[in-house]
Amino acid sequence: MKICCIVSLALVALSAAALRAADLSVFAAASLTDALKELASAYESESGDKLLFNFGGSNALARQIKEGAPVDVFFSADEVQMDNLAKADLIDPSTRADLLSNTLVIVVPKDGPGELTPAELTGPLIKRLALADFRSVPAGVYAREYLTKLGLWTAVESKVVPTENVRAALAAVESGNVEAGIVYKTDAAISKAVKIAYEVSASEGPRISYPVAVVKGTRNAGASKRFLEYLKSEPALAVFKKFGFIVRQ
Amino acid sequence: MRSAEWEIVGFTFAMALLATFAILPFGVGLAWLLARKSWPGKSVVETLVALPLVMPPVATGLILLKVLGRKSPIGAFLQEHFDLEMVFTWRAVVAAMAVMSFPLLVRGARIAFEAVSPRLEQVATTLGATRLRVFMTITLPLAHRGIIAGSVLSFARALGEFGATILVAGNIPGRTTTLSVSIYSDIQLGHDGDAFRMLVVSVVLAFVAVWTSEWLFRRSTPAA
Amino acid sequence: MNLKFTNVSLRLKGLTLKLDVTLDKQVTALFGPSGSGKTSVLELVAGLRRADRGVIELDGLALTNVCQRIFVPARKRAIGYVPQDLALFPHLTVGQNITYGVKKLPASVLDLSREKLCRVLEIDRLLDRMPSSLSGGEKQRVAFARALLTSPRLLLLDEPLASLDQSLKERILPYLKLIRDEFVIPILYVTHSASEVIALCEDVVVLQAGKCAARGKPADLFALSDTRSYRLRAL
Repeated sequence: MKICCIVSLALVALSAAALRAADLSVFAAASLTDALKELASAYESESGDKLLFNFGGSNALARQIKEGAPVDVFFSADEVQMDNLAKADLIDPSTRADLLSNTLVIVVPKDGPGELTPAELTGPLIKRLALADFRSVPAGVYAREYLTKLGLWTAVESKVVPTENVRAALAAVESGNVEAGIVYKTDAAISKAVKIAYEVSASEGPRISYPVAVVKGTRNAGASKRFLEYLKSEPALAVFKKFGFIVRQ
Repeated sequence: MRSAEWEIVGFTFAMALLATFAILPFGVGLAWLLARKSWPGKSVVETLVALPLVMPPVATGLILLKVLGRKSPIGAFLQEHFDLEMVFTWRAVVAAMAVMSFPLLVRGARIAFEAVSPRLEQVATTLGATRLRVFMTITLPLAHRGIIAGSVLSFARALGEFGATILVAGNIPGRTTTLSVSIYSDIQLGHDGDAFRMLVVSVVLAFVAVWTSEWLFRRSTPAA
Repeated sequence: MNLKFTNVSLRLKGLTLKLDVTLDKQVTALFGPSGSGKTSVLELVAGLRRADRGVIELDGLALTNVCQRIFVPARKRAIGYVPQDLALFPHLTVGQNITYGVKKLPASVLDLSREKLCRVLEIDRLLDRMPSSLSGGEKQRVAFARALLTSPRLLLLDEPLASLDQSLKERILPYLKLIRDEFVIPILYVTHSASEVIALCEDVVVLQAGKCAARGKPADLFALSDTRSYRLRAL
């Protein structure tokens, strides 16, 4: 009798554990902030899981994952950072997906010029240019790649104010402390204090890719994979499109 | 250590020195007022002076950003009339260091002044000395070791300043990168070896500065 | 000298000082127990403290007049002050200490040359020494010299012999007599020692709880008791 009781209690406990909602820790690029926050509420009510985001420069996030931060999903703004983690065997390669792309734009404060071409960035009107740190943060790396391709990088480099992530570059332009900045089109879209002065077309711009993957050390493999599947679903992609991301099909 | 790294150390040292000299007259003057005078609202002043010591440095940095940025009255004024940019330049580095280390200078100098017996100053006045002469010939000479100790400590604080600096001066290679900011950015880039070297330099500098300051504090004996 | 206190009043911790006297002898003692406000009286005369009410005049000129908002700052009063702890400047030599006030005061009543003063007070060999290296008696004499060299109109001495042992007291007393007789400078002498009053002063104001309890010649107010020391007569 007693053994029966213990066993049934154990079974109840186990099933309860299986049904208990997961808390997913998601490290994502700063440019994904608004889109992910919007989809989070829908996902949370649908799945019962809770999403805990950490937004920042993808390089800083990758660094934290390398140092052993307890993370379930990594959503990077470039391949380089994801590759770094793959090389260190920290992600589950079978779950890796290249979901989104983005467009680079040159932004200026609301009261700035209506149009500003890349070549004009070398001119005297532009004293300071905000970029996410071009040595490591994806947005900055893409911007440098683009300007180098145009042969403008050396002329522009001395004007660059490197920021911690792309949203910080956006904030610098919003504050008026710099004359221009290069950010993603999706960042410019959510800001009311800047306007787009130039859009880098997909053909002339760098290849931008946002890979996502489940991190190997996760304790919630099932819930993490469910979340990734959700990100590929129609409702999620619609949210990304709404914010201006390019969906790769 | 590469030459670029030594340049960063040199830059940080120079900016901290500039910041310390800039706050010296104000800090010593305010310390004297706090030590010798009383007025309504004195406790408010004391609290305000101590704030940068206690507030999160980034919060102080944010205030500086708003106050010195282009859109602020001060920033706009400087830009229009002197074509002077504050934020994202070495001037912002000096400003951040000055604000963050000011409380330490005031504290050290105030203690030094309080240690000078007012009786000595009183006797000097009866002997015909003006307030300025009393300050220059009695108060200052007797307080100078404590003031120097406070300055050295404040200089050390300026050397290590990070939170406010990175916000208001950014991390512009070759222009505003200080020792602490370079350690941070090396870590961000994964250059641990570089970060560690700079870490050693900053520990050595801090150790020497604090040790010197403590030694000076010990040697400044109160007036006989 | 003529030092006149008219309705002078000062609120201190624990008591209120009230003085309405005129001092016109050369050496006047201010006698009373500790806490009776004696040091505060000296501070009022020296200009280191402001009275709440009243008028203080020296030789006819107002130093302090609260109603008329007159207050001559200490540095212009030409009044020498030797506090109880002497307050020698520890970072200056003896020579620098004693000449600190010279040439900074308005025209003096007497011309005291440094040589004479140093000789009389026997500190001429000490001029290059630092105050911390001096004996108690030497420090005392240096403090006197510093105050005297400015040729003050009035000398305020706050318990000059209080912290000295008996033998030292006996050695310094002659110097005080010398200052009184040789330099003829008016002195206001604060003390709680009856024998010092008898030895040096012509006039004594007895202060009790901030008020003048008695006034007169030392001989009238003090009597030799059985124990061969002077005591204040019953008031």
